[in-house]
Amino acid sequence: MLNDLITITPQHESSARAIFSKVLEQKKLLTKDKMIITITGEVGSGKSTISNVLGRLLKAEGIRAKIIDLDNFYKIPPLQRREWRLKNGLESIGYDEYDWESLNANIAAFINNKSATMPCVDLITSYVDELKTNYKGVDILIINGLYALRIKEADLKVFVEYTYHETREAQLYSGKEKMDDYRQKVLQREHEVVTSMKNHAEFFVDFESSLFHL
Amino acid sequence: MLGDILLITDKHRKAAEKIAEYILKNKKERMIIAISGESGSGKSELVHAIAKLMRKEGIFAKPLHTDNYYNTHPLKRREWRIANGIENVVGYGEYLWDTINQNLDDFRNGRTSVMPCVDLVTEQVDQLTTNFGEVDMLLVDGLYAIKAENVDLKVFIGLTYLETKEKHTKDVRGKEVMDEVRWAILGQEHKMVQALMPLANIIVTKDYEVEVVEEISDND
Repeated sequence: MLNDLITITPQHESSARAIFSKVLEQKKLLTKDKMIITITGEVGSGKSTISNVLGRLLKAEGIRAKIIDLDNFYKIPPLQRREWRLKNGLESIGYDEYDWESLNANIAAFINNKSATMPCVDLITSYVDELKTNYKGVDILIINGLYALRIKEADLKVFVEYTYHETREAQLYSGKEKMDDYRQKVLQREHEVVTSMKNHAEFFVDFESSLFHL
Repeated sequence: MLGDILLITDKHRKAAEKIAEYILKNKKERMIIAISGESGSGKSELVHAIAKLMRKEGIFAKPLHTDNYYNTHPLKRREWRIANGIENVVGYGEYLWDTINQNLDDFRNGRTSVMPCVDLVTEQVDQLTTNFGEVDMLLVDGLYAIKAENVDLKVFIGLTYLETKEKHTKDVRGKEVMDEVRWAILGQEHKMVQALMPLANIIVTKDYEVEVVEEISDND
């Protein structure tokens, strides 16, 4: 994602630290060099900011982490998505909206130390660029997004807990997308999907308190 | 640039509003605006804020950071600078100007273009492909950005590294280690950047006041 406005709060910082300790612990147990972490949570739960802080903490340890934001992989580009969803109905919102083939190609490239291209949304223009990354020398892949829990290759599945009500307020406040009845329905639908997948996670971090449990 | 952390405050927003107003009044087809200033002077923040304002006007403006165009790899730059002498090498010569000017030319002609893109978390240089055909305006920011070819509007931020000293020491971005070497680099950059001030059309003062010093002409 280009031009993402990342503002780090103490909550992001401590949530990232909780995950960081878990990652270091888990990494020691792995028999392979490469590790995949997925970070899921409600819309607005700070997934991308937490990923950024986590990546920086790992960097300080000499561990190279590449962050992939699933929002880049929507098949329908940002400027057409709302209209597309309106036309196809609320049921169309979800897993199938993403280009999993492209994501899987990047996961495979990461595992095999190869290069791959991925879509990369510029949040200012809303246009989609293409990003080519060489995964040689990248130790950890951090994939964040609503449906990241569905990635079976993950070595650690993190869920950031954050109540729907708070999320909605955060969404209203951040003004990323126009808030109206329809957008609220979309959020409600996404909330239901996320809740249904939650039990696949292995490590839960509460955004407010930064307390975690397994 | 991927993974950058921006701290946009009211001063950036206010200055951005004034500059945006000037841009709209003097708007050109496929306009290129460049913003120069020292490290920590708020270039990226200002560019982000201006681009957002343009978007509200229906103008698709794309930020372009010259920090993506260093001719040394992020992980090897420090060592290379020390080996070659900070005073000798820190400056314009460290950038891939041919690539910058090629990308600007691609924008002018609405072509699809390939450019370097630094990921600040992996410290690797990725490659970004953009279709400039769908972009209306380019906002280039960087220490020496106003030195690029065919820039329509040149903005200079007067805030120096000495005035943002605290920010450098406390920098949350973790962009580079702060020590004597880094201070020497900032000192050298200061000399090089300040020499560019006479090129500016608009100066953003230390207090973030916006002053138009030289109107842009219509016929170039």
